[in-house]
This record gives sequence, C-alpha cells and structure tokens, in this order.
Amino acid sequence: MTLTTGLPAPPGALARDGELSSLLEVLAGSGATGALRGEYGTVHLADGAVTHAESHLAPGPAVLLTVSGRLSPQLWQLLLLGHGPSCRVGSRLVAQGHLSQGELELCALSTLYDAGYFALASPAATAVFDPGARHWLGPVVRVGARALLRETARRQQLLTRIWPWPQVDTAPLVPARTSPGAVGRRSRPRLSPRGRELLALADGRRTPADLALLLGRSAFATLAEVRRLAAAGYAETPFTGHGSPQAGRLTPVPPPLPTPDRFVPPPRQAPEPRRAPEPRPASATAAPLPRPEATLSRREATRPRPEAVFPRPEATLPRPETAAAPLPRRSRPAAPVAAPPPSAHDPDIALLTRVLTALEARL
Amino acid sequence: MPGIDDCLAQAMAITGARGVSLTDWSSGLALGHQGESPSGDHETTAAEATDLARAAADCPTFADQEDPRMPLQDLILTTRGSYHLIRFVGTSFDSRLLLHLWLDRAQGNLAVARLRLQALAEELVVG
Repeated sequence: MTLTTGLPAPPGALARDGELSSLLEVLAGSGATGALRGEYGTVHLADGAVTHAESHLAPGPAVLLTVSGRLSPQLWQLLLLGHGPSCRVGSRLVAQGHLSQGELELCALSTLYDAGYFALASPAATAVFDPGARHWLGPVVRVGARALLRETARRQQLLTRIWPWPQVDTAPLVPARTSPGAVGRRSRPRLSPRGRELLALADGRRTPADLALLLGRSAFATLAEVRRLAAAGYAETPFTGHGSPQAGRLTPVPPPLPTPDRFVPPPRQAPEPRRAPEPRPASATAAPLPRPEATLSRREATRPRPEAVFPRPEATLPRPETAAAPLPRRSRPAAPVAAPPPSAHDPDIALLTRVLTALEARL
Repeated sequence: MPGIDDCLAQAMAITGARGVSLTDWSSGLALGHQGESPSGDHETTAAEATDLARAAADCPTFADQEDPRMPLQDLILTTRGSYHLIRFVGTSFDSRLLLHLWLDRAQGNLAVARLRLQALAEELVVG
C-alpha cells in the first residue's frame, strides 16, 4: 500500500507538508500497526504508537552496543538470526542476561528519537506503509507520534540556534584551515573534548553520519557537535559562493530560513567504484537478516569523492533543489547557499570581536 | 533489573523527592519523568539541566579528563528551599544521560538521597 499526498492535512502545526511527519500523524491517529518506510528511514508503529525507528543516517542498537564493546558482533548476529524472525531480540537480550532492562530501554529510546529525526525528513510522496510489519527487536518502548514530532521539531530548532547552516550536516567535516586562535579568546567557546575527538577523526571525507557510526554515538548529538564546531570556527562551513559577501559580513548570524532548517539529504550520485574498505564496525555487516544497519552500502555509494572535497568544498554542497524531493517544498530563499556567515577570520569581525572583548573586560 | 519507569518510581520514593527526570543531555530530551517539575514543565527542566551539565562537563576545571565517558559523577545545587541532585548515568554504550532529582530541603536528607540516587543510576544500567 502506497500512501500518497491525497491525504487530508492533519490538524496542528507539527506536520510539515510533503514529509513523512504528516503521514505519521494520520497513521497514528487511526491506530495503525506497521512500518512507514521513507527514503531516509523507517518508523514502526504498533496500535498508533511509535515503537522503533531506523535510518541509515543514524547508528542503531547494533552499532551502539557493538562499537562500545558491550556486546560482541558474533553474539549480536546469533541473537539476530535466532530471534529476529520472531521479533524477540530485545526480550532475549534481557532474558539471557546480556543487557539490563534499563539498558535495553535506554538504547531503544535513544535510537528511536535519533533515527526518527532523519526518517521523518523523508518525502511523503515516495513513502510506503507496510501494514502489520513488525520490528525484529520486539516491543521495548512506546512513544506517542506527537511526542516524536514535537521532539524532532525541537531538535531542528536546536541545530538552527547553534549554527543555521545545515550544509555542515551532510558535508564531510573539514577542520578550519586557519586557527581561530587569533580572534578574541574570551568570546570564543572552548573546544569540547567531543569536538576535539571529532576533529581528530575528520579526514576530509567523513560526514557527521560517518563519524557517528564510527564512534557508535547518536547521530543527532554528532550533528549538534559539528554545528558547534562550525559556529566556533573550528570547522569549515562550505558555501557555494553565490551570495554576496557583503550581505553576510557584519550582520549577526541571521538565520536565513523562515522555517526551521531541515536535514538536507545528500544528492543522488551514480555509484562509484568501491574504494578500499575502511575499518567498519563489525556489526555493520554482521546482520544479514532483518537488516538493522544493512544500508551501509548505500552510504558508501553516496559518499562524495575526496577529490571533490578539496580544494573546492562547494562542489560537495547538497543542493536542496536537486536533492530528490519530488514534492514541491515550501518556497524559501536559497537558504543554504545564501550569504556566508560572518567569519571569525574576517578582519572586520576580528576587530569587532576585539572591541567587544575589551568592553566586556571593563564591565 | 529495573527499567526506566521503575528507576524513576524508586527515585520518587526517596524521602523529600518532589520530582525526578531522566534526561539525555546530548540532545536535551527528557526520556522519562515523574512528580513535579521545578519549572512547571519537564521539557524545559530537561533543556536547562542539559545546559548546566554541558557547561560543567566540557570545562577542564571540573571535568575528569581521564574519563571522557563519565566526566562528572554528580552536581549538587542548593537553593533556600530545595536541592537539585544531578547524577550522571554511566551506560556501557556511548550516551549522555543524567538523573535529575528535585529534593525538598526541609524533608530530605542530602547525603542519603545522593547515595540512593547513585545506586539507582548504577542499577539502571547494570545487567
């Protein structure tokens, strides 16, 4: 059954036209059970409540638990093969003493909100509802659809508040070429331990989603950290250069969007020949059955070529207008490609920062 | 082996407890809560506890540099009428969770509540 956009507009301001959110509200309202599959992820429902979410852009329970060493990939695969088909992996993990009930619930809840954030950005036009489908983990937690939608909206706003340029979410993380150390130390946020860790792993090819997978860490938390790095000038923000440099120079970080920023999917590219495989969490390939993270091959295919990143980072910019969005999105200015933000390296900004710091020191 | 709701219920059984929440401080999301909220809204409280936790945990003065997974064990804030106990939860997988207990100062015993909350945080994630 394919749901298309002929559905009535759901009440409330939470739904975003053309995205999976509106379908989710309708399905939840009708008490549906099954899997709502979108381009960027899947949301599972049981009697109208959200029970699981998966996305190839967010690490699932398999990655969280095996990258941390909590469970071995072999054990995970055994449990998945043995109890995945009967949708009892979660309960068996607890019953066999591999995880506490608390750990299982925490892991399931965290990954539900994390993957839900990406899944709900999927365009509705290509979404498919698979009625009756059950999740291999089995029942662990239940979240109201509205709670998930509200939290997803809150997370979008949080990212926008940190740094309103969503292109850093999907572009490879690139450490700033010049140290921002010369600019007003007092006013610049300190580099957090997690930020330092991400920069150390940034090789010019890894996107925030890659880094989250590598570290076995929440993808949203990684996005937030990457935006903080970009906001503080520790990481580059790629721009296309179409905007007028003057427009963004001295204005204080204006969010250019009338609506909260959305996750911008990477542009579709022809699959490229596989490079030498990077070290990956063993679990990523260890689960052939219900495919919790089996979409990794697609991530490989959409990864930009390293040579396209340097020396022109703008070549990797995801362009919303070309990025597989069959439905007309709300008209908005070419936000992600608009004027660059005021850069900490700009002499005028540096001067202003020094003046500000001096004034603060006298207070 | 308690789940999240059992853990929160047991925290509410601590003498003087007015409210408790389990917060993911990587995102500011309240994963669960029981009782009252100091701000009147558990979501706001979770977001503000997140700001506090990050301010302390990312600060080399206070954070334990040798344990990046668990940079702090707890934070205690005292006001005229109440205590706030913020206990960091050390999960085996990578996460940033905390238990925030709002305690009535006249009725509660800070030392007892702190030890109890520590035990609950450990029981939640020990298999």
